[in-house]
Amino acid sequence: MSESDPSKFSMIDSPALSKPTTHNRPTLAELRRRLAGRWVFALLLATGCGILILLVLAPLYTLLSKSVENKAGDFVGLENFAHYLSTGGIESAFFNSLWVAGLSTVIVVSLAFMAAWALTRTRLPITGWIRGVLILPILAPSLLPAISLVYLFGNQGVLKSWLFGAEIYGPIGIIMGSCFWTFPHALMILLTAMDNADGRHYEAATALKASPWRTFWTVTVPGARYGLVSAGFVVFTLVITDFGVPKVIGGQFDVLATDIYKQVIGQQKFEMGAVVSVLLLLPAMLAFIADRYVQRKQSASFTARSVPYRPRQDRKRDALGALMLTPTLVFIFAIIGMAIYASFVTFWPYNLDLSLNNYQFGRMDGGGWGAYTNSLQMALGTMVVGTVLVFFNAWLMERTPQSRLLTGVFQFLSLLPLAVPGLVLGLSYIFFFNHPDNPINGIYGTLFILILCTVTHFYAVSHLTAVTALKQLDQEFEAVGESLNASRWRVLFTVTLPLCLPAILDVALYLFVNAMTTVSAVVFLYGHDSQLASVAVLNMDEAGDIAPAAAMAILITATCAVAKLIQGVLRFWVDRSTRAWRQGTE
Amino acid sequence: MNQKTQGSRLEIQSVNKFFGDFCALKDINLTIEPGELVCFLGPSGCGKTTLLRIIAGLEHQSGGLLHQGETDISLKPPRERDFGIVFQSYALFPNMTVTDNIAYGLRSIGMPKAQVRNRVDELLALVGLEDQASKYPAQLSGGQQQRVALARALAPSPGLLLLDEPLSALDAKVRQHLRGEIRSLQRQLGVTTVMVTHDQEEALAMADRVVVMNNGVIEQVGTPLDIYQQPASAFVASFIGAMNFIDSAPLNGQRVKVGNHELDLIRPLPTAEGCIQLAIRPEDVHLLPSGDGEWEGEVRALDYLGAFIRTLIRLSDIELDLVVDVDPRSARRLDLRVGSCVCLNLPSDALHCFAA
Ligand SMILES: Nc1ncnc2c1ncn2[C@@H]1O[C@H](COP(=O)(O)OP(=O)(O)OP(=O)(O)O)[C@@H](O)[C@H]1O
Ligand SMILES: [Mg+2]
Repeated sequence: MSESDPSKFSMIDSPALSKPTTHNRPTLAELRRRLAGRWVFALLLATGCGILILLVLAPLYTLLSKSVENKAGDFVGLENFAHYLSTGGIESAFFNSLWVAGLSTVIVVSLAFMAAWALTRTRLPITGWIRGVLILPILAPSLLPAISLVYLFGNQGVLKSWLFGAEIYGPIGIIMGSCFWTFPHALMILLTAMDNADGRHYEAATALKASPWRTFWTVTVPGARYGLVSAGFVVFTLVITDFGVPKVIGGQFDVLATDIYKQVIGQQKFEMGAVVSVLLLLPAMLAFIADRYVQRKQSASFTARSVPYRPRQDRKRDALGALMLTPTLVFIFAIIGMAIYASFVTFWPYNLDLSLNNYQFGRMDGGGWGAYTNSLQMALGTMVVGTVLVFFNAWLMERTPQSRLLTGVFQFLSLLPLAVPGLVLGLSYIFFFNHPDNPINGIYGTLFILILCTVTHFYAVSHLTAVTALKQLDQEFEAVGESLNASRWRVLFTVTLPLCLPAILDVALYLFVNAMTTVSAVVFLYGHDSQLASVAVLNMDEAGDIAPAAAMAILITATCAVAKLIQGVLRFWVDRSTRAWRQGTE
Repeated sequence: MNQKTQGSRLEIQSVNKFFGDFCALKDINLTIEPGELVCFLGPSGCGKTTLLRIIAGLEHQSGGLLHQGETDISLKPPRERDFGIVFQSYALFPNMTVTDNIAYGLRSIGMPKAQVRNRVDELLALVGLEDQASKYPAQLSGGQQQRVALARALAPSPGLLLLDEPLSALDAKVRQHLRGEIRSLQRQLGVTTVMVTHDQEEALAMADRVVVMNNGVIEQVGTPLDIYQQPASAFVASFIGAMNFIDSAPLNGQRVKVGNHELDLIRPLPTAEGCIQLAIRPEDVHLLPSGDGEWEGEVRALDYLGAFIRTLIRLSDIELDLVVDVDPRSARRLDLRVGSCVCLNLPSDALHCFAA
C-alpha cells in the first residue's frame, strides 16, 4: 500500500458539501433522554443558585430598596441621596475615601512590585523565609496595624517625633495601616504574574545587547503589567471597603466605611447607611468589572509554553534587591513587633514591665475569652460549611452535565460577592434577615448568620480556586467512569476529591483565616451571645483599652499562624504521600 | 488463558447530529459485525469523534437508532451500555496504581476481591505489564500508559471497544509497534472494536473495514483494499493515497474524450452528460521512452522518495501536470531528468471515473 499523502501536485477535488435543508428540532424522545439522569445534577446546581440568591442577591436587593425609602418604609426616590449630598457627605467621606484608597494603592503596588522583582529576578538567599514574612500581615486583622501605629506614632508613641508634628490620627495613619495589611494581597498577585517568566525573552534581550535597564522596561514590566493592574484594583477595593483601620486611627477624618458605621450604629439611621453603602458599592463594582476584564485578557495571553527564567549571578543586582526589600521587611517587623510588645507591657507608658495582664480578657468589656471561643467556632464553621459548599457547587458546575444558562448564572452569582464590600454585605443582612416577615429571622444574632455571612463574603475567591483545580483534571474522567459502570459520585470520591486535596486545604485555610480576622461584615451582625474576637478588638479599642485590644489582635494572629502551620503540615503530608503519583507530572 | 469475549454486533440507523444549526452527522447508516475492527477515517472535523461518542452514549444523537446485539441502546445512558473506551489523553486516574486503574471497572460492578485480583493479573499479562503493576501512571512511558488504558477498558469484558485516536499521542516507532499489538489483542479477544483515526496508514494497516467520512457523511465503507483500489468518490480517491484527476467529456458508450485523445473505459460512466473526472494513481501510469506512447510529456520535477521516484510530468496536449511514481530502475532506463521528454500510457483498467 502506498503511504503517500494526497500529493501536493495532484488536483484534489472534494465534493461540495450538501447543506441540510431542514433544521432538526429535538424530538420529545430526545428531550426526555437529555434530561434522563441529568435532572438530579441540574436540580442540585439550581439549588446552589438558590442558596447564593438567598445569601447575596436578595439581601443586596433589600439594601438597594432601603436606600430609596424613608424611615417609615415609604418610597421616596433619591431623596436620601440628595440629603446625604446636602449635608456634605459626598465632599468629605466619598472623596476622602477615593484619594486615600488611590494613594495607598500606588504605594502598595510599588512596594509589592519592588519586592516581587527582588524575589523573582535576583538570587537572594532565604527567599522562602522572606516570602513567609512578607505574607505575614494576611494572618492579622486589619485592626492590628492601626493599634500598632498608635503605639508607634500616637500621642504617647515611641517614634512620634518622626512625623515632624503631623498627626497619625487621620489620612497618614489610614494609609500606613492600609499599606500593611493589603501588601500581601498585592504581592501574591505580582508573584504569580512574575514567577512564570519566560526565560527566552531575557535571552533574546541579552542577545540583542539590551542594557539591564532597558531589559527591565521592555521585558520585565510588560510581562507583569496584567499583574500590576490586577493588584491595583484589588488593593484599591480592599482599602476603600476596609473599616478596621480608619475606625481605629482615622480620628476625625471621615471615609465612607466609617460613615456607614456611624450612621447605623451611632445614629440608627439605617436608610442613610444604605445610601452610603450604595455609594461604596459603586467604586467597588467598577473595580471588580475592570479587574474581570483585565483578567480575561490575561488568560488569553498566557497560552504558550515557556522556558522558566533563571536569574544570573549578579552581586550588584542582589544588593539592589536587598535594598528594595529592606524597608518593607522593617515596616512589617516593626508593626508586628510593636503590637506583640505592647500586648505584654503592663501599663503603657508608665510601667514597662512585661506581664500577661492584658490577656486577662475576662476583666475587660468586649466579650472576653468567650468572644475568642466564639470566633474559633465561627471560623471553624465557616471553614467546614464554606469548603463543602464551594467545592460541591464548583464540582456540579465543572464536572456534571449542565446547561450553559445555569452555569452562567451560577458563575455570576459566585463572583458577585467579590464586588460587595463587607460592611455593605453585613448591613444588607440586617435588612434581609432581621425583617419581621423573613421566616428565618430567628437566625439573626446567632453564630449561624455570622457563618453564612462570612462564607458569602469570601465565596468568590474560594470558588475561583476550586474551579481552577477542577478544570485542570482530565475532561474525560467522568466519561471513563461511566464506561466502567461507575457513577459520577464514585468518580468524585475516588478520583476528583483526592486530586483536589491541595486546593481544598488552601480554600479551607483561606476561609478560616478570613473568618478569624474579618470585622467589616460581622460588625453589624453579632449578637449578645455571639461576640467575636475581632469585634472585641474594636470595642476594647473604642473603650480605651488599647493594650488588651492589641493582645486580642495578637491572639487572633497567633491562632491564624497556628492554622497556617497545621495546613502547612497537612499539605506537606499530602504532597509526600502523593509524590509517587505526581512524579513526572510537574 | 483469558476468556474469549463475545463481541457484539452494532447497528447504526439514520443517525443525525446537530450542534445548533450545524449538522455534524448526517444520516449515518452502518452495521458493524461481531469481532470486527472498524476504523473511522476522515479529515479533522468530519465528525468521527462525535459518532464515536454517540455510540458510547456520551453524546446524544439528534435522530436515529442504535442497536447493540438485540438491544435498542438509542436511549440508554452510557452506564447501561456495554462498552470500554480509550481516550486520546488516556484519562488514567493519576492517584491510582496501574492495578487500581485496571480494577476500577471491576470494583464498580461489585466483583469479589479474589476474582478482581485474578482478572487484573490476567489483563496485566495480556498487555505485558506484569512488572509495572504497582506503579502510578506518571511513572510510565506513553506507550505503557496506553496499554494500561486499554487493559482498564477491557477489564469488564465489554462487547464493544471504542478507541478515539488511541495512538496519536505517541511517537512514530511506538505507534507502529502498538498498532500490531492492539490488532492481535483484538483478534485474540474477539471484541468488536471501533477506532477513530485521521491517519490513513493506521486505518489501512489495522482495520477489517474502513469507514471514510467527510463533512458529517459516510463517503465509503469497505476493506482497506476496496477503499484503495475502488474509491467510491473523488473525495475518497484523493484522501486515501495520491491521485491524479483529469477532466474529460463523455462520448457514447464507455468512451471519453480528453483533449483530442479518446479513451476506452472498462467501468460504466457515472453520468451520461456533463463533465466527468478521470482519476489515476501515480504508480499506475506507464512511462515509456519518448515516441513510444500515446501521450507526450516533459519532466518538470523529480523527487527521490527512497523506494520510488515521484515525478511531475507536463502533458503537452492538455497542459496538465501529472504525478507519476517510477521505480529507480525504470527511471534509469528512461534516463529521466528535469526537462527531458517522455511518453506515457494511461492503462484503462487503472482509470477511475467520477462525476465532476
Ligand atoms: N459540542 C459541540 N458544539 C458544537 N460543535 C461541535 C461540538 N462538538 C463537535 N462539534 C463540531 O462537529 C464537527 C465534528 O467534530 P468531531 O469532534 O466529531 O470531529 P473529528 O472528526 O473527531 O475531528 P478531529 O480529527 O479533529 O478530532 C466539528 O466541526 C466540530 O466543530
Ligand atoms: Mg476527534
